[in-house]
Amino acid sequence: MRLNVLLKKNLAIFLFFFGFFLSLQLSAQNPLTVTGKITDETGKGLGGVTISVRGTNNKTISDDGNYRIAGVKSNDVLVFSFVGYVEQVIPVKNQSVINVSLDISQKILSDVVVIGYGTQKKKGVTGSVSSFDARKLDERPVQRIDQALVGQLAGVTVKQTTGIPGKAFSVQIRGSGSISGGNEPLYVIDGFPLSVNSSNVSNGSFSTGNPLDNINPNDIESIEVLKDASAAAIYGSRASNGVVLITTKRGQAGKARINVNAYVGYNQAAKKLEMMNGDQWIAQAIEVINAQYLVAYPTASASDDYATRLARVGSLNANYIPDPRWTQPGHPGLRYIDWQDAIERKGMLQNYEVSASGGTEAVRYFLSGNYANQDGFVVGLNYKAYSMRANVEINASDKLKFGLNIAPTFSITQDPGIDGKDAIFHQALSLAPVQEDTMGLFPNTGKNFQYIWSSTTNSPMGKLTYNIGTTKRYRTLGSLYGDYQIIKGLNFRTSVNLDNTDNIGTTYVPYITTGISNILTNTNPRIFTGSNNLLASTSGTYRSYRRQTFVNENTLTYNRVIRKDHSINLLAGYSYNFDRFDQSAISSNGGYTSAVIQTLNAAAAVTGNTTSTKSVLISYFSRLLYGYKDKYFLSASIRRDGSSRFGINNQFGTFPSASLKWIVTEENFMNAIPVISDLKLRVSWGVNGNNNLPNDYASLATLGSYGYVLGTPAAVIGQAPNVLANPDLEWEKSKTYDIGLDFGVLKNRITGSFDYYNKLNTDLLLNVQVPAVTGFGSGLANIGSVRNIGEELELTSRNMVGKFQWSTTVNVTHNTNKIEALAPGQNQIIIPNGFTVSDAILRVGYPINSIYVLKVLGLLTAKDITDNMPRYNGTTEQPGDFKFQDINGDGVITEADKQIVGHPNPDWTYGITNTFRYKDFDLSCLVQGQAGGSIYSQLGRAISRPGQGRSDNHPASFVNRWYSESNPGEGRFGKAYSTYNNPITAATDWLYSSDYIRVRNITLGYNLSHLFQKKFVQNARVYFTLENFFGHDKYTNGLNPEAANTTVSTNGSYPEAGDYGAMPLAKSLIFGLNITF
Amino acid sequence: MKKIIFILTITVVILSSSCKKDLNQVPISSETTSTFYQQPNDFIKAVNATYNSLRGYPDRLLFLSEVRSDNVYPTNDVGRDPDPINNFSLGIAPNVYVEEAWSANFVGVFRANTVLDQITKNGSFIGSPALATRLKAEARFLRAFFYLDLVKYFGKVPIIDHPVSALESNTIGRSSVSDVYNFIIADLQFAIANLPVNFSGPFPNYTASDVGRATKYAAEAILADVYMTRSGPTYGIEGPGLGLSEWNLALPLLQDIISSGLFVFNPNVYSFPVPATGIFSYSNQSPTANKEVIFDIMFLTGQNPILGTTFPWQLVPQAYFNGFPTGNPSLGGALGTPSVSTNLLNSYSTSPLDARKAPFLHTAPYNNLGALDLHAFYRKYLDTTKVPVSRFDWGINFIAVRYTDILMRKAECILHGAPGTQGDVDGIVNQVRARASQPAIANVTLAQLFDERRKEFAGEGSRWFDLERSGNLVTIMNAWRTVEDATLQKMSPIVPNFIIYPVPQSQLDAAPGLYIQNPGY
Repeated sequence: MRLNVLLKKNLAIFLFFFGFFLSLQLSAQNPLTVTGKITDETGKGLGGVTISVRGTNNKTISDDGNYRIAGVKSNDVLVFSFVGYVEQVIPVKNQSVINVSLDISQKILSDVVVIGYGTQKKKGVTGSVSSFDARKLDERPVQRIDQALVGQLAGVTVKQTTGIPGKAFSVQIRGSGSISGGNEPLYVIDGFPLSVNSSNVSNGSFSTGNPLDNINPNDIESIEVLKDASAAAIYGSRASNGVVLITTKRGQAGKARINVNAYVGYNQAAKKLEMMNGDQWIAQAIEVINAQYLVAYPTASASDDYATRLARVGSLNANYIPDPRWTQPGHPGLRYIDWQDAIERKGMLQNYEVSASGGTEAVRYFLSGNYANQDGFVVGLNYKAYSMRANVEINASDKLKFGLNIAPTFSITQDPGIDGKDAIFHQALSLAPVQEDTMGLFPNTGKNFQYIWSSTTNSPMGKLTYNIGTTKRYRTLGSLYGDYQIIKGLNFRTSVNLDNTDNIGTTYVPYITTGISNILTNTNPRIFTGSNNLLASTSGTYRSYRRQTFVNENTLTYNRVIRKDHSINLLAGYSYNFDRFDQSAISSNGGYTSAVIQTLNAAAAVTGNTTSTKSVLISYFSRLLYGYKDKYFLSASIRRDGSSRFGINNQFGTFPSASLKWIVTEENFMNAIPVISDLKLRVSWGVNGNNNLPNDYASLATLGSYGYVLGTPAAVIGQAPNVLANPDLEWEKSKTYDIGLDFGVLKNRITGSFDYYNKLNTDLLLNVQVPAVTGFGSGLANIGSVRNIGEELELTSRNMVGKFQWSTTVNVTHNTNKIEALAPGQNQIIIPNGFTVSDAILRVGYPINSIYVLKVLGLLTAKDITDNMPRYNGTTEQPGDFKFQDINGDGVITEADKQIVGHPNPDWTYGITNTFRYKDFDLSCLVQGQAGGSIYSQLGRAISRPGQGRSDNHPASFVNRWYSESNPGEGRFGKAYSTYNNPITAATDWLYSSDYIRVRNITLGYNLSHLFQKKFVQNARVYFTLENFFGHDKYTNGLNPEAANTTVSTNGSYPEAGDYGAMPLAKSLIFGLNITF
Repeated sequence: MKKIIFILTITVVILSSSCKKDLNQVPISSETTSTFYQQPNDFIKAVNATYNSLRGYPDRLLFLSEVRSDNVYPTNDVGRDPDPINNFSLGIAPNVYVEEAWSANFVGVFRANTVLDQITKNGSFIGSPALATRLKAEARFLRAFFYLDLVKYFGKVPIIDHPVSALESNTIGRSSVSDVYNFIIADLQFAIANLPVNFSGPFPNYTASDVGRATKYAAEAILADVYMTRSGPTYGIEGPGLGLSEWNLALPLLQDIISSGLFVFNPNVYSFPVPATGIFSYSNQSPTANKEVIFDIMFLTGQNPILGTTFPWQLVPQAYFNGFPTGNPSLGGALGTPSVSTNLLNSYSTSPLDARKAPFLHTAPYNNLGALDLHAFYRKYLDTTKVPVSRFDWGINFIAVRYTDILMRKAECILHGAPGTQGDVDGIVNQVRARASQPAIANVTLAQLFDERRKEFAGEGSRWFDLERSGNLVTIMNAWRTVEDATLQKMSPIVPNFIIYPVPQSQLDAAPGLYIQNPGY
């Protein structure tokens, strides 16, 4: 059998070389009639399948599985196609009986795909579009749509930047093209373009909301990602980062279908960062204390005991005197705490959804209600979401159609402040693992004192228990539309859409988790002494925002096939769009007056303000889709956008695109190469825009406050312009070329597509230097460019068919990112840093935010010192400190010795899905990963900086540090007591590869349908899922290589987000049930 | 059918045309130049913001005049920003202080121009033409003040008389020094003619709440400085000195200030700590009480945002603060250990003891990283009981125009041949010497006058400009360098090109080819 296949393959190659001759020979033969039976994956006959002779109009449709087609030549190729099944392509080769088994498509249920402002037959799509099979969302428990996209589509990089449940992921399509304008795509739900969110650029979190917040993934029917410029160009000034089209489920005429989808499970931390344990921490504390003791008291000895030291120092100073209990057996009175274990738990997950759909020819409906409740794996974390959706479509007459989509949702997130610098998780890593036993897990909290050898940090457990951070979000998405057929083929459609989000965030920090309580200095701010006001250090905030996006769209479409061969689809449209954002912030001032009431009416005083912004976008657009003989396709579009966000001189911009597609296998000569069952070529070009300015009014000369002192004296208000107005300010532009190839070989057993793209972003919104005579050092202008070049491959192979089915889907993306130009004459911008000296750079010829630090060569030895090895900060470095590379050879290590050592974005991303089906069982496994990027860990500054001192904890590998010249350790960490590093420099000791590989999902399902009577239960399935259960990464002293939670750059024009203590991602085990009545 | 299409088309056209206006959004929560300047108060606030640009002036004097001169010689610190200024390094075009001098003054010019432009366009909103004139006069005074500072540091600079866009700024090159002076003089003459003389109203003249704004006498003092500065020698460079002998133009202005009777020579002998009525006392801050003050840059501690200043500690070594009472940890970080030169230290007479030495200079050793540091430093503005929580928030005014200076300038003009007698000169100088417990001298020469100025105005940032005006800058500086720098040998020989600073590197980069670098850099 195998041999047979092999022979057939060889024959195919043979045919390929002698194709013309042979095909001429064969075509001379007589017509045949072919019959056969078509079955589905279960072996049942399949009616309604289209059987066509490729390259001709000869076709028929199967009836209950049997078919008969006449007028077939021996060298013809038969195509068997049916919605939802993989197309089969079989050469006739003199056979008169051809039986076919069709497989359920792994890719998509429909051969119609959603494109901007309409749908199109997949065959005719000329641009680069990736489709996501949303059926997987029913089979796999996900909390957010962006989570479902991880590892699924070539060219779409989804980063999970935080492990907090319910929080948005970061999505990037084809690399980062913008330095300051954000790189998140435009999301369009059921034709409604949501507002683009760019607020993630500075610290990686979506503090003013994300377009996918509260969207229930179970309502999603399909997701298409428009990747190249031609596909996305119809969205003009917002499309340069790609467009994600989301279609929600709607009802079909017929019997009502009730679907129940429920799952429960638990989640826990997917990774733990091993920190030093109590004994290891004590060992380094003693080492540092002895060193400090000898520096302060040069005549003392490290072997001095407690009493000697106490007498010499005069008081119990933790810097010079170790805790005597450390060396006593069993360390009485002390408790060893693994803080990660202390704050983590198994969190319960549950989700219940009921949906109903159905309808008549006149009215179709889809209704759903969903409840999700997810306890985070850290104490105090919780996410609850309630969502409802109603999609109703009414055929009022033959010509008139109305529809209404409405989706009210509500979510509550509880997060006392886990991720980020000095936030709880960071402190759980840093805090000393040795504490007073009497305080339990609550040192320096409430009436508990600080353990004096530990730091002044309040217990992370205390903060998780008593601090409150709640985000309540009520969001309603609504669309109302009407469609009227003016004449046959000509339709007018109008829609009104509103997206309203009301978000309220409150925080409350009681006095019991603030302040330092030191038993030695007898300060305890949390004990009432008769006159002190304990509540003075209680604080609270109330922040709210309302984001409204309103869109009215009006389109005319004309659809016609002329003289059989020419299909034409013409679109013209106009849209009006506004975004309004209102926010308010109130915070307590001077503490609280009540220990019970948490709302701000109990605050001693409050400060607050409100601000609002608004922007308007007006657009005209038009598109032509043209197909000739279902073989050649052309698409051309143009959009004209006017935006209030831009300078008065450049309010309107034009975004053209064009693309071509040739279905090569429709050509007769391809019949000679039957091994190639499908071959399509695509080329496209287009220009898109990015309108993410720093704010809605960036082109205007707003006023800032510049006070002065006059009079008695007193402060007086002064106001002057604080921005250099730029009436020419406009969008960033991206110009993309794309060449694509879709193919299927071996009777479509292997199908796939390959794309090469070259995307040049120009006119970047950058702050450029201007002569100071303008009154400003810099101004926002459209200047500079970034190029992304990449290749994408998507491949599906049906390895085994029949009773046991096995298919593999692979996607691989390679992207290179390079800054082509900054301002004229400018070669680089070093990104200013709020924590250390800078660690990232924008340099022409290198990727955005390249990591720019000193290179650590190893650790200094005594010989290095005598050899005058270049040292940092003059001569203060000693043996056991880092040896840096003196790249400019000037004999001293300075900022000028920094070099580019990596870049944040991965070069390669990939996802591999294997699916198995046997009888009623199904098993799928998604493996996903990335390679080639680096992470510069700001967390390193907290837990592994040179000279960190005795109290904060280090990673467990710190035990392999430098101890002495003869015991230099493994070289990664220098000595425990070091004094040179002030200010802290940025060097490669905090540089890690961001490569990782994760088994994102393993799902085992069992189809229960046969247990029920078909009349009552149409479908039933139970499943187990392991989500994110296995994986490996190279971020050895951090938890999530994709983490972003802290603003690193101090200049908003050059954002840089970093990881300063991210919690790990969650892994979960879930049991689910899905029944359709 | 056609009707429907027609109606649809019309609807779309109407919709789109009516919505287009929506593209002109105005900020909801901030003012812009097109919404501001419509209330009388808006214009006053706009002028206040122009005064705000004066806040860097004292620090600038210290770093670019005091540190550059023979008064300061930092000995034991490496790599700090003022060192290249002190050492006459060639590569100081990107130096932060050089950059600041150019940009901060042009920010001030921009704000003054914005006020003037808006008064022209929207002046009717002010209501009172008299107030409009006063505000114009204030803005023009400030613009002249910034420009004189620019000329002194850079020589030729672009003349900007209205707010310019980035595009337009690329077309305006540097004007000749004499053109810049003409621009300054016109502004000051307008200011003199239109500024109030004091702070006793009525509106729109200044009231008590306006103390600190520029008066007619402040403008006269600056104009006198213009005439005197450009009367200085050219040294063969395109610097602030034009070799014009305009001492007789300066003298009447100085005389007018003196005869106004508003200002009084403070006869209190200098002492340390500064007495409550002393010129540099924290409790003698009001320009109306402190009669030495003709024009103050005003600061106030404890405001949010900060309205205090940094100049009192800029030339105080950071290590000195280490020994300070706790509670001021943020004070660390003054600039290394700048020291006054041995030459200045020795210029004060010890017998009889110059009464200025102790209050102006800290000479006692202090603990510097465990070792005793013997280098003296300025403490003229330092009051150890007034150390602020933030080191940026010292609360003492900087006297930009000081009555003693006016008097001594008068003496200088007379010695240069302006009307007056040697007796007038001796009288002025001996009045100053008497306050310093120094014996009177007769037949004071220009050299003696400048020596007296050096001791009197030490730490106030006038030394570099005095040297320049004296005509002996190059010789005095090189003679001083030979002695003071004999051991460390870190300084370059001083040449006339160094009288002015290079055009900041950022400006050469921002508009390549627009400005030509000053010779010698």
